[in-house]
Amino acid sequence: MERLSNLKQVLGKKLFDKVENSRILMVGSGGIGCELLKNLVMGGFKNIEIIDLDTIDLSNLNRQFLFQKQHIGKSKSKVARQSALEFNPNVNIIAHHDNIKDPQFNIKWFKSFDIVMNALDNLDARRHVNTMCLAANVPLIESGTSGYTGQSTVIKKNVTECYECQPKPTPKTFPICTIRSTPNTPIHCIVWAKNYLFAELFGKSEDNNEINDEVTEENNTEIENLKKESQALKELFKLAGKPEYSEKVFEKIFNLDILRLLRMENLWKTRTKPKPIDNEQYKKALEINMEMDNNNNDSKTKDNQKIYTLEENINIFKNCFEILVQRQLKGKEVDPDFSMSFEKDDDVIMKFVAATANIRAHIFHIEQLNRFKIKEIAGNIIPSIATTNAIISGVIIMDAYKILNNQLEDCNTIFLTRDSSNVFVNEFLSKPNPRCAVCRKSYFVLTVNIEKFTLNDLLNKVLMSPKDKNGLALNGDITICEDQRILYDFDFDDKLNDTFSKVKIEDGKCLNVTCDDDDKMYNVMIYVINNR
Amino acid sequence: MTSKSLCVTRLIEERKLWRKDHPYGFWARPLKLPNGDMDIMTWQAGIPGKEGTDWEGGVYKLQMTFTEEYPQKPPKCKFVPPLFHPNVYPSGTVCLSILNEDQDWKPSITIKDILTGIQVLLNEPNPDSPAQEKAYYMYMRDKESYIKQVKQQAKDNAE
Repeated sequence: MERLSNLKQVLGKKLFDKVENSRILMVGSGGIGCELLKNLVMGGFKNIEIIDLDTIDLSNLNRQFLFQKQHIGKSKSKVARQSALEFNPNVNIIAHHDNIKDPQFNIKWFKSFDIVMNALDNLDARRHVNTMCLAANVPLIESGTSGYTGQSTVIKKNVTECYECQPKPTPKTFPICTIRSTPNTPIHCIVWAKNYLFAELFGKSEDNNEINDEVTEENNTEIENLKKESQALKELFKLAGKPEYSEKVFEKIFNLDILRLLRMENLWKTRTKPKPIDNEQYKKALEINMEMDNNNNDSKTKDNQKIYTLEENINIFKNCFEILVQRQLKGKEVDPDFSMSFEKDDDVIMKFVAATANIRAHIFHIEQLNRFKIKEIAGNIIPSIATTNAIISGVIIMDAYKILNNQLEDCNTIFLTRDSSNVFVNEFLSKPNPRCAVCRKSYFVLTVNIEKFTLNDLLNKVLMSPKDKNGLALNGDITICEDQRILYDFDFDDKLNDTFSKVKIEDGKCLNVTCDDDDKMYNVMIYVINNR
Repeated sequence: MTSKSLCVTRLIEERKLWRKDHPYGFWARPLKLPNGDMDIMTWQAGIPGKEGTDWEGGVYKLQMTFTEEYPQKPPKCKFVPPLFHPNVYPSGTVCLSILNEDQDWKPSITIKDILTGIQVLLNEPNPDSPAQEKAYYMYMRDKESYIKQVKQQAKDNAE
């Protein structure tokens, strides 16, 4: 208790009591989460809920200090709770091993907190929590780190900018033309190996979900030919399990496909022509004897740093390809729809992707990279440093005290930089962007019996009904969407007489309603709570 | 459930814009799924061949697939069934600079802009970014057969 009595002096009794009585939600208990939970339980907070859908991985242990070796494979949030309770048993922590997007974490639940803190690592969940906090009107502290840099900011509806007020740079993608025909950087080759080649050979191919019924009616031989061309890799699959399969696949992707590209002369007017690898080269490469499958950790590290010769890469290709085909055939015995997805921590998959990316790089005269670097790129690995996470978590806690002390206007957006003369850069919180499509919306909660309430009721008793009857008095073209489904609009009223439950609008679902009144667009979000 | 709201809102706007004003002979609407749902992230469209060109008479069916990152990123546009055209991949995917995030895509480009852009591409292929071998070859070396095939394709795609 002595520890907390110091804190009480620093914060003053009034704020200390507020902190003690506040309810905090921490979303994510990974890198920032571990540091932040420590700060919370040591900083006077007594009612904390944490949520994380992830389990503990070996690679987390260097920085997520609430986890130890014996916890590998266990729930992050549950172990974080246990570990934190060990150094302060006098707090209530509820741990959820769940996805924050699950419907049980509805708007009512969000409303029960005084502050929500994000300790997340992805855009999707951040956007979700942002919207929920806006709808529930709960302050959100948003943060993130990357290597030595990081930032933290506070979001409050109608007071500050929200997470979506400024467009976010989206992760880089590459045009299909560059990836398939004219790569010119190592990254293009890695994307090709991972997203095209590996996916075509072992994954769920996108062509499977193509709408093809019209093609069969079509008697146009040309279209059939084109289809065949795109099917060529899949055709080869008939050979799977036979010794010549790897050779044929190699020939297709590193010889025939390249020759086909070479025939399109215009592509090579300004570019260096690629050099296909013929069968003889392939066979010759396989004559060298390469020691495969080294489990020795020392040599594994060395292997990962090494740039292989073309011959070595061809050997690695054959070796890994055959292992993967065996896996695929075994999988398909059990389930004909079996498919694999890229996994950076799977050694064989990683070696296959690295080798094929480098062979392609060789063909296109592009610099080759070592496996370590390729893994970083293919696996989107962002370096994460414990110290950075600790500093940002400290900033978050300070902002939490300010918010509870009704000093939200004193909070700043804080950037942690690498500039030693100016480690922290402070920026005042900006006002909401008046054009933001997320925080400028109105949010409503609709409590109804979903077995009885119909879309027509929603339209007439809520949306278009006058204000004095508790309606929204919308007037104009109305569109009702749930997620990406249109439920009703000017051209689609099939479902008007269906009940909410029939069209699968269940408890916790959110309806996106827009109303177009000639020159103005109104947009409201309606959260549905089922009242049985 | 909420992360898609930005792109859904934009697509609802696009649908309303299209309803108010779209070029003659074109059509575009969200896809109706077999279960009766309408999916706003997948659209089907018909692009008519321009009058006075070898493409005239055909209405070519295109599928547009939007992602959560739209309008930051362009939709994927794919002819279904695949089209005989130098800049259309064997899978049907269209290779066009305004559909390329790294080139000319801008979030302000509307569905109308995309469809009219593709209509222009039909008769004005770009020989610098060939996407399918056969059509590219014929276009470069044997214009006569190319035109014949394009005309046949227009007939096959007549509405």
